[in-house]
Amino acid sequence: MQQLETFSYDNRIVRDFAVATVFWGIIGMLVGLVAAIQLFHPHLNLGIAFTTFSRIRPVHTNAVIFAFVGNGIFLGLYYSLQRLCKARMFSDALSKIHFWGWQLIILLAAVTLLLGYTTSKEYAELEWPLDVLIAVVWVIFGVNMIGTIMKRRERHLYVAIWFYIATFFTVAMLHIVNSIEIPVALFKSYPIYAGVQDALVQWWYGHNAVAFFLTTPYLGLMYYFLPKAADRPVYSYRLSIVHFWSLIFLYIWAGPHHLLYTSLPDWAQSLGTVFSVMLIAPSWGGMLNGLLTLRGAWDKVRQDPILKFMVVAVTAYGMATFEGPMLSVKSINALSHFTDWTIAHVHVGALGWNGFLTFGILYWLIPRLYNTKLYSVKMANFHFWVGMLGIIFYAVPLYWAGVTQGLMWKQFTGTGYLQYPLFLDTVTQIIPMYMLRAIGGTLYLVSAIVGAYVLVKTAKSGSLAAEEKAQAPTLAVQKEEHHVKNVYGHRWLESRPVQFFVLTVIAVAIGGIVEFVPTFLIKSNIPTIASVKPYTPLELHGRDLYVANGCNTCHSQMIRPFRSETERYGEYSKAGEFVYDHPFLWGSKRIGPDLHRLGGKYPDAWHYNHMLEPASTSPGSIMPPYPWLFTQALDTAATAAKIRAMRTLGVPYPEGYEKFANKDVLTQAQQIAANLKSANLAASEDKEIIALIAYLQRLGMDIKGEKTAAVK
Amino acid sequence: MVKKPVKVKDELMEHDFDGIQELDNELPPWWLWLFYITIFWGLGYLVYYHVLQVGDSSKEQYLKEMALAAEMQRQTPGGGMAGAAIAGQEGEAAEVAALKDEQSLAQGKEIYQKNCTPCHAPDGGGTVGPNLTDEYWIHGARTGDVVNTIVNGVPVKGMISWAPILKPDEILQVASYVISLRGTTPASPKAPEGQKVDYSGIN
Repeated sequence: MQQLETFSYDNRIVRDFAVATVFWGIIGMLVGLVAAIQLFHPHLNLGIAFTTFSRIRPVHTNAVIFAFVGNGIFLGLYYSLQRLCKARMFSDALSKIHFWGWQLIILLAAVTLLLGYTTSKEYAELEWPLDVLIAVVWVIFGVNMIGTIMKRRERHLYVAIWFYIATFFTVAMLHIVNSIEIPVALFKSYPIYAGVQDALVQWWYGHNAVAFFLTTPYLGLMYYFLPKAADRPVYSYRLSIVHFWSLIFLYIWAGPHHLLYTSLPDWAQSLGTVFSVMLIAPSWGGMLNGLLTLRGAWDKVRQDPILKFMVVAVTAYGMATFEGPMLSVKSINALSHFTDWTIAHVHVGALGWNGFLTFGILYWLIPRLYNTKLYSVKMANFHFWVGMLGIIFYAVPLYWAGVTQGLMWKQFTGTGYLQYPLFLDTVTQIIPMYMLRAIGGTLYLVSAIVGAYVLVKTAKSGSLAAEEKAQAPTLAVQKEEHHVKNVYGHRWLESRPVQFFVLTVIAVAIGGIVEFVPTFLIKSNIPTIASVKPYTPLELHGRDLYVANGCNTCHSQMIRPFRSETERYGEYSKAGEFVYDHPFLWGSKRIGPDLHRLGGKYPDAWHYNHMLEPASTSPGSIMPPYPWLFTQALDTAATAAKIRAMRTLGVPYPEGYEKFANKDVLTQAQQIAANLKSANLAASEDKEIIALIAYLQRLGMDIKGEKTAAVK
Repeated sequence: MVKKPVKVKDELMEHDFDGIQELDNELPPWWLWLFYITIFWGLGYLVYYHVLQVGDSSKEQYLKEMALAAEMQRQTPGGGMAGAAIAGQEGEAAEVAALKDEQSLAQGKEIYQKNCTPCHAPDGGGTVGPNLTDEYWIHGARTGDVVNTIVNGVPVKGMISWAPILKPDEILQVASYVISLRGTTPASPKAPEGQKVDYSGIN
């Protein structure tokens, strides 16, 4: 006779994460809406640096990914892991530290990003002290999870846990490798990678943040909550095994699809393309197991808002994971990249897959945590339908805008001229679409607020069952179940967590290693260009201001090898031009034009006027003014530390140069101030704007005038 | 190919997790085929572009695109890549005469308002760039000179070459409009720059 142990599940921590999920979700969406409105009403920033589009856009992305979805992961994971392991979380103290640590990171993230402390690397914008804090809190979470798995009372690990394990190990690897940087001040650092290498590492990270933060943990949640809510068995255990291992192995390779037609070597681009296409089936495996689990429960879907949310979530997942590989095909990417098509694509994933699955889980979970019934099924249904409408009004206009603008950029007249040589013409064309998108965003936000109301009312109508009693025999008395079918030998592996961890780490490490090692070690991948020189200290300061003000949010520095781009911007970008760029600033979206060959195109006075009031030089521009650059003095005290850090990273500043670098800063600044004076602009040489102009005038100048040699 | 019957036997696995059961269904065959085909396509892609190198690299694609465009323009009368056509006429610039008809000047005005006002002011009085309404010219006052300035720009002073942006007839229209501004009185004229020019007897 088996000995039963009695224990209790910690529901309080689940509730805490649920509150944080809803709270940050609404904040994140609200910031997104404000950013969306600024695209057709730039003065909504009220002339303040902290509320400008280029600062709040990263706040929006980070809030939705790490605050909304992040807390969503932990809420579902802490609930399901305890039950799937038949064990309480390993340590209540670690649970608490994890919870409060994560909320602290979010708060600090919002504050520092608004202040302009950013690394510029997308979804990894946080500066080094926060990177360290994230690593610590993430490891605490990992210890808590692994500890729980180790003291489980269930011999085999269910598929949801496989996905949680992959999430923990891979995110740790991604975060640490992409965040290796040299601090120059409390909130300023330079990544050790430069140019092409930095781009490759960043998008290996960026793509797999989507994979292992927005996808794998949510697949784990789906595998627990969907069969629970539908009360149906999971469609196919074999499919779970095959799609899990193929998904985590293949995903890691696909990062370079963010860098198609850039200066990244062609072979690496091709790996990005083919691994993305190979990902269709593994991704759809998850969708199939979700949708086919609902066979025989479709009548319930009609009535139950929870299942409705889940069905749309899984369908959105299937759509996004088909579209992603299509966008990774070079000929399609040539049109879609840098346009709003990408923004539409990610929002089908974020609003549909992550958002709706989160709400479905919350509607299922909160009544159970509080021993009560859902406050109003009607209002939950209202949430669902308005949210759906929101997704449609969000995505359709942006697809339209993306395709329209992409085509306009490429359109030539019959006589060989660009049809729309002024970039601005392609922007004003899609402003109405930006307005419609903001309506879609508003609908989604309103629906989420209604949802929050229903959840709060539900909680108030019951009382929290903080400790839920359960019973199970200890693992020690459980015999290995030899009668259980050992499909693909996987049952064996499922009962051996350590072996499972090791195999997972191997599976997710391979892709990165194969792509990084040749790019870092083989010189021919990044042919050097003799005329490319390090930035002057003033230009370096200007570059840091470019980063701090988020210029890269709206402007790319990557001219692709297309006639439509070289006619518009100048010679296409070469890998060797970026060897001193810590970090790379290629950008991912052109809300404004590319800037890689901006240097020398306009006089200093033009930049001065343009930064002060963009509409004065470009009537109709949606760029906000940056008046604070004209009043804030340049921090020349930091020059020496910056030069030293760059030299450590291999930028050839002469030994001891930092001692008199500020003399060069002054000379160059005085020259620019003199240029401005000759145009009747009274600018003092110690202001930030001078450094920014110096940097903008340097862009692309190293190889100006060179043309591509004819092919052999 | 022999079609295997799809096995959806819906047999439950012996085990459940917190009440969640799993079925022992086979992988859906169409799904498996989709997976095989994408893997096969991926291998084929890598072989085509990187092993056999039959497919063009990004750079080769670009050079071909440029060559094709250059060829097309040779065959298109009045066509020009990056304003090459008008730039090539530099020697004959002295012979160009300003347009006087209302329609051309209206079009010239539209082009001016869109592109030139940031530096030369809406009324031609000049801001960053020189005053266009006075009798002083830095780079010549003849229609051909104005056209040349627009085509080549004055990179040292920050005026860009407009050849890639404006078509040859548009350049002549906007140059003609600029010439039509002579003698008007702008709101805040910039101080004279360049040589004083006697307008009599020039194009």
